Amino acid sequence: MRPMLKITDLSATVGEDSEAKTILNGLSLDVPAGEVHAIMGPNGAGKSTLSYVLTGRSGYEVTGGSATLNGEDILGMDPEERAAKGMFLSFQYPVEIPGVPVMTFVRTAMNAQRKARGEAEISAPDFIKKSRDVAKMLNLDAEMLKRPVNVGFSGGEKKRLEIYQMMMLEPKFLILDETDSGLDIDALKTVADGVNAMRDPSRGMLVITHYQRLLDYIKPDKVHVLAKGRIIKTGEADLALRLEKEGYDGVLGEAA
Amino acid sequence: MDCCGGTTEHEDDCGEVKVKDSIDAKTVEAAKALESENYSAGFATTIETDFAPKGLSEDTIRYISAAKNEPEWLLEWRLKAYERWLTMEEPTWAMVRYPKIDYQAYYYYAAPKAGAKYASIDDVPKEILETYEKLGIPLREAEVLLGVEGAVETAAEGREKPRVAVDAVFDSVSVATTFRKELQKAGVIFMSISEAVHEYPDLVKKYLGTVVPQSDNFFATLNSAVFSDGTFVYIPKGVRCPMELSTYFRMNAENTGQFERTLIVADEAAYVSYLEGCTAPMRDENQLHAAVVELVALEDAEIKYSTVQNWWPGDEDGKGGIFNFVTKRGDCRGDRSKISWTQVETGSAVTWKYPSCILRGDDSVGEFYSIAVTNGRQQADTGTKMIHLGKRTKSRIISKGISAGKSDNTYRGLVSVNRKAVNARNFTQCDSLLIGEKCGAHTIPYVENRCASAQLEHEATTTKLSEDQLFYARQRGIAEEDAVALLVNGFVRDVLQHLPMEFAVEAQSLLKVSLEGSVG
Amino acid sequence: MTTALRDFIKNPTAAELELVARYGMQPEDARRERAFLAFAETGLPHRRMEGWKWTDFKAALKALETPAAASAKDPLPDDGALVFRFTPKGFEAPAKLPDGIRMVVQPGVQAFPGAEDVPMGALAAALAGGGKRPATLAFEITSSEAPRLHFVFEGAGEASFARIVFLVRSGASLTLTESYLGGAGLTASVLEFDLERGAKLNRTIFQRGGAGEALAVTGIAHLGAEAEMTQTTLAFGAKVARMETRVVHQASGSKLNLNAAYLSGKGFHADITTNVRHGAPSCVTRQLTKGAVLDGGTGVFQGKFFVPRKTGQHTDADMQHQALLLEDGAQVFAKPELEIYADDVECAHGNTCGALDDAQMFYLRQRGIPETQARAMLTEAFIAEALGMADEAVRDVLLAEAQNWLSS
Ligand SMILES: Nc1ncnc2c1ncn2[C@@H]1O[C@H](COP(=O)(O)OP(=O)(O)OP(=O)(O)O)[C@@H](O)[C@H]1O
Ligand SMILES: [Mg+2]
Repeated sequence: MRPMLKITDLSATVGEDSEAKTILNGLSLDVPAGEVHAIMGPNGAGKSTLSYVLTGRSGYEVTGGSATLNGEDILGMDPEERAAKGMFLSFQYPVEIPGVPVMTFVRTAMNAQRKARGEAEISAPDFIKKSRDVAKMLNLDAEMLKRPVNVGFSGGEKKRLEIYQMMMLEPKFLILDETDSGLDIDALKTVADGVNAMRDPSRGMLVITHYQRLLDYIKPDKVHVLAKGRIIKTGEADLALRLEKEGYDGVLGEAA
Repeated sequence: MDCCGGTTEHEDDCGEVKVKDSIDAKTVEAAKALESENYSAGFATTIETDFAPKGLSEDTIRYISAAKNEPEWLLEWRLKAYERWLTMEEPTWAMVRYPKIDYQAYYYYAAPKAGAKYASIDDVPKEILETYEKLGIPLREAEVLLGVEGAVETAAEGREKPRVAVDAVFDSVSVATTFRKELQKAGVIFMSISEAVHEYPDLVKKYLGTVVPQSDNFFATLNSAVFSDGTFVYIPKGVRCPMELSTYFRMNAENTGQFERTLIVADEAAYVSYLEGCTAPMRDENQLHAAVVELVALEDAEIKYSTVQNWWPGDEDGKGGIFNFVTKRGDCRGDRSKISWTQVETGSAVTWKYPSCILRGDDSVGEFYSIAVTNGRQQADTGTKMIHLGKRTKSRIISKGISAGKSDNTYRGLVSVNRKAVNARNFTQCDSLLIGEKCGAHTIPYVENRCASAQLEHEATTTKLSEDQLFYARQRGIAEEDAVALLVNGFVRDVLQHLPMEFAVEAQSLLKVSLEGSVG
Repeated sequence: MTTALRDFIKNPTAAELELVARYGMQPEDARRERAFLAFAETGLPHRRMEGWKWTDFKAALKALETPAAASAKDPLPDDGALVFRFTPKGFEAPAKLPDGIRMVVQPGVQAFPGAEDVPMGALAAALAGGGKRPATLAFEITSSEAPRLHFVFEGAGEASFARIVFLVRSGASLTLTESYLGGAGLTASVLEFDLERGAKLNRTIFQRGGAGEALAVTGIAHLGAEAEMTQTTLAFGAKVARMETRVVHQASGSKLNLNAAYLSGKGFHADITTNVRHGAPSCVTRQLTKGAVLDGGTGVFQGKFFVPRKTGQHTDADMQHQALLLEDGAQVFAKPELEIYADDVECAHGNTCGALDDAQMFYLRQRGIPETQARAMLTEAFIAEALGMADEAVRDVLLAEAQNWLSS
């Protein structure tokens, strides 16, 4: 069967022409629908870069290879096109948008995506109901949703707000970039519940994390180690445990 | 904004503008005494001096030119500037107040009698050497002597202590340049500008007045007419100057004005770091300092220019002190060139100074890092101009102003982005710290953006020294003045770290001395 | 007479001569003369004056002419408000005013201290009146429940001048909205506010003028102890338009919110200038100005906080100006200034100038919002921040006006 997300030999640079720096260097990775894959790797390995390249952030140049979602090349698409195709990135550092209330923001996004897919807009009552349900599940204060996106939110609140948006938008493919960092223990559980609720035979997920802790809650089907811009090791869920025990040096020494 | 400007698009804005609100005249009242002994550089040196006739006239200029045995073209250049100066008016827009300057009351040229340049450092009069020694300038140091004698073939790199080549200017004349031979080997020209006029007339002619035109502003024009000496530096293509270059200026003679002129040219891909230090003895009269500094950076070149200015600030009643009216400007003429100004201004009664960058080359970079401390009755109006003309030009301004006593400290800056300067960037941070309730801190940034893709950002704060922090430090046993110095050092850290090591240390102790008596 | 009058202004332009002639037609009045002399000191302000270097009335206003275009339609609702109109025909006011609002139409000119600082305000004071218009229109507000007063300034041919004075008594509050709709070659108005202890003022200014017109709105306010003033301006500019506000915190504990948004299209020039004096301890100022400028448009922001020695202690003041240059060919000039002589203060200002933030744009697009929509959303939110404190009755209209402009 064809994997949902297929990344083949992907290379990418960051920075202006003169000082372009290669960050991804022949990275290959397949995530079939219905599976959750974890990506771990040392700081600066290129994990966030991968998530930005997949979602089309400017400033990153793809210098080789390909990435397809359900067989469609996504690298040529605008960010919003990819979003409408179902790509969702939970940012490692969510961005503050002064002046735009969360509710307005998410509703605009939802309707834009629906429009791009040729679907009808969501009605205001439906939207509010849905928002209330999701917020409740994530223990989010309704007041918070009236505030401008991420402005003045604590680190953990920002991460929960990313999950709120994810559950509202119901994307097809999820990339969680260190969504666990900054969360307290209860919030981690709540977020994991949210993510698990999204698990579905038709959905794929890429979970970037540094800690086994998150993977206790979100059981991955595969664990990949990203280092020096490529996947250098792939294993089952227990690889994460080994990494935690032995460190990257221990495990990678053996891979090299 | 004003007159120190002079790219053509701003020339029209010059001069006429008047700042109405100004220093409260009532502040000039009886004061808590500040001790002038704090000024450790305030001694005078007794040596015989040759003066030009007092006052300013065509004759004075001819005298200066003749005394320096100058070529005809330079005399003409000076006279043209003088003619122009006569038609100009002294600027009044800065937030500084001082008694009307009588330009006829100054000597425009004062040279130690023994004669100008010395063949060997041993010929430099003892009194002058002692003066510099007292100032802590290492003219006599063994290494330096080695440099003078050209015997530093070996182990130059292996040495741990960074070496500094020094050009010392005493009143109007350059008295000693060290490390000359070694620099020559690298192809670096470092000498007084009077010498350069004779030895490298083509280079001087090519660049002199091309960054700060003769008619740029009142004080620069005056300087063009009467400049006495100064430093000339040329770094050839691809050369990284093997050591820091440095000039020390000292005003000694009474009633003299000092009008030095510095010209630094970094040819393609060259690099130089240049330090400038200034002191003057305590005198009751105001002395005038109107220098011009021109920097030219060609393609890929980089010039780092650092100043520690500690001219005599006058006594606690505002008597005496230096009027420091300086025009400093760098021209990033080539693509990817970079000019970086760092200044620590603690001295002078009145300072009027805006080291600026014209970012002409694409991808060129301008920086301005400044610490300005005023105490007693000092007044400082200082800042920078960043003129973005080339594509992707970047500038960065960090200014830390500290006002104490009854002083006034103004940051005045301009960031101007031309229509063609696509993707230009500027970041400006201006912080002011007030110590005591009789001083003033002012921030006057001008921003002119004509380019949609430019991103400009400016932040400014004005606060007082935090009581909590002060108490915390004192509770741990740090004396109040040391605690102030500690906190002030923290406040200016971002800037200090841009100074070369030796200078940073000197600057820190200067800050402490300048702020003595400002609390309690 | 003409020769004597001519001496008022050095080397007058045609427009200035016409202003002198208009002054000559006014009844004699020593206070009027003083105001006119304050204007004549400089004539129409020009770029050689520090405060006007980016906004040059002398160059923009060659002669007084009736503009080709009629006034814009007033978007601000007038239901529930007491409406006062300065029209080509004269001045209209409601027949009867409720208790708590007293209006006095003064035939003579009131004294105008500080006229030298505001040349266009001085001009308005000197030339207001004549025909069916009051020289000085004065209001005394004694109620805290008074309905909103709505002033409309529309087409008055070559030139339109007005002077209005408000005295808001202790504990009373005034909600004021003003629509400047263009239709005059030169519009100059000056409004003065005196807020007694605990008085409140919420003032909203809407300005939209023709591309050939010049307009200057000058506001001068004195805040008593614990008085509160909130001002919101939405300006679309004109050939040259200056919205100038000077506020003095006169007694401790007063609070000022000073917000403005300017939107400047091709051939338009919008200038927001403010001067706030913290002349009493423990006063608060919050200032936010936002601007968006298109190709061929100009935006100017000049802000100044002045904190005098001793009396300005415990000042808490913040000034922010943020401008978006939406297209190539737009230009923005800014001068956010602090002049501080008191040490125990918290003063800050910030200024940003440029295009929309890339990170924000990407975040929106990642969530599926198309680029143009994302741009519009961010720009609207950006401008809206400066309009949030306007009186409820007009806030949504201001937002809609800004949105319309941004999306067309
Ligand atoms: N805009 C940029 N300019 C220069 N270098 C960049 C830029 N963006 C990323 N990098 C560099 O690319 C490398 C990979 O960064 P990336 O953010 O992808 O790492 P990461 O694996 O997500 O690390 P972490 O675990 O710390 O989040 C780092 O060395 C980083 O400094
Ligand atoms: Mg990362």
